[in-house]
Amino acid sequence: MAVSWLSRLAARARVPVFPALGMHGDTILHRLALTPGIELVDSPRHASILLVAGGVPPDLHEALRRLHDQLPAPFATLWYRSSPLSELAGDLRVDDPEALPEALKRLHRELMSGRRDSSPRLLPDEPPNPWEGLGDDGHGGEGMMGGVPYGRPMAMNMHDDIRDGLTLDSLTVTLGPFLPVLPPGLGAKVTLQGDLVQSWVTQLAPYPIALENVFHEALQRPVPIAELELARARHHLQRLAFSLRLSGLEHLALVALRLSRGLNVESRVGRLHRRLTRCGFFRLTTAGRGRLEAGQARRVGGIAARAAGLEEDLRSRDAAYRRLGFTPVVQRGGDTNARWRQTLAEIDHSLQLAFRAEQEDLYSEMTEAVETPRGPWDDYRPEDASDILEDLLPGLEWDEALTTIASLDLAGVSEWPLEPLSETSLKDDEERQA
Amino acid sequence: MELLTLLIVLLVALGAGLGVQWLAMCHQPMPTYPQRAPFLGGGLPETHAWNRYHVRYYPMTLLLIAFEMEMMFMYPWAVVYVEQGMKAVMEMGMFLAILSVGIVYGWREGVFKWQ
Repeated sequence: MAVSWLSRLAARARVPVFPALGMHGDTILHRLALTPGIELVDSPRHASILLVAGGVPPDLHEALRRLHDQLPAPFATLWYRSSPLSELAGDLRVDDPEALPEALKRLHRELMSGRRDSSPRLLPDEPPNPWEGLGDDGHGGEGMMGGVPYGRPMAMNMHDDIRDGLTLDSLTVTLGPFLPVLPPGLGAKVTLQGDLVQSWVTQLAPYPIALENVFHEALQRPVPIAELELARARHHLQRLAFSLRLSGLEHLALVALRLSRGLNVESRVGRLHRRLTRCGFFRLTTAGRGRLEAGQARRVGGIAARAAGLEEDLRSRDAAYRRLGFTPVVQRGGDTNARWRQTLAEIDHSLQLAFRAEQEDLYSEMTEAVETPRGPWDDYRPEDASDILEDLLPGLEWDEALTTIASLDLAGVSEWPLEPLSETSLKDDEERQA
Repeated sequence: MELLTLLIVLLVALGAGLGVQWLAMCHQPMPTYPQRAPFLGGGLPETHAWNRYHVRYYPMTLLLIAFEMEMMFMYPWAVVYVEQGMKAVMEMGMFLAILSVGIVYGWREGVFKWQ
């Protein structure tokens, strides 16, 4: 009785969804974050639905199986624009972004009311190493630190400390590619001493990011500058929302996402900037940390380069931009703090440019190259630069390392443009939210 | 009588605590090994997370104890001060001066810098 009452209550609660992102899956996430009745959770342990959004490359299927098996029963998996794993071929697949929120809610209701069985476990219920009945005490250990007590070896003192000489045990873990605090697809082998990053080896590059179609069109023909600048501001606002969520400022993350969704030439970010200053976001992002050298900044390009004082922006070569009096905004410092100040300044700059360009009905004139939000795209698309983390992160504390990664746009640019979501459904969601 | 009441309260609390855990264990099968692994976004740990690491707020806690000791002595001192007057003020001044040296030393060593 009590259990059925609890089940009914659980079925009416917000749907806790853990997103495992595949290629271009983050687009739908921005929308789900603003959908009432859906709660995006940061750990599979808090979720009842695993949402696999976007195609997952076959080499990541094993990691996906591990993630799938970490959800507590009862749970279900929903595949959005992604092919289910062979063992889960009968799972629900949805390709229509408008049908997704309702499909998630229905799945949750069915699961909680017992009308749908929990997803099966994919991996065998075996410890990482056999331990039962082995070793000195039957728990797999040998001597003080040897063996595999309860299945895993003990952490050992393997590396010299790089902070103050107090060498303690180091933990080596493989992170990603579905860790929500890292860019989608990024995987790394990390060694930690306490909260200090001892070493970082990037093993999987983040998925290439899809830019709005207007950046691809700008390489074919002149496009309205207002459209180009609004798309740029939207990209930066979505990155900012990710970082705000990471910093625990979820409400402000939703404010940034709402702003990006309803962005037009009259939108302004002054109010958001003031709120960020007041809540201490710029102090949280640790001034002086994650500083890029000039060579590294040039390689990453875009905001990271201009935040390090390099006046590199392809827009200054375009005659139409020059007519608008365009000069690149730059910061000094090149650290995490400077990159966020630069991001906010560029969003503001883009909105001002868009306003003036729309009044004068200006089109871009340079078609051989375009400055994308990720960096310059001339003969080559901006490429993945996630290997710079290997030099940048050692010596930082874990929170500083995460804010540094969030402040850098390191993924390469995909050759395919972003598929636009329909405007009518966006408005519907917004009205329901209101 | 009071001790008996206390004992009963303790037993009831212990019984309720254990009962709630036992009830949960009855209905819940043990999670599988893959579910029990730490969540690393699909990655795997090489070792146990049970390890020795530096508690970096340790010097700050020592300093807190220094302040606390100071306050502990001040309560009885307030009583003595009424009887002894100026002499007690001098003695407390000397005690505080010695403690302050420790605080100034800690400050110089960067104890107040949170890391």
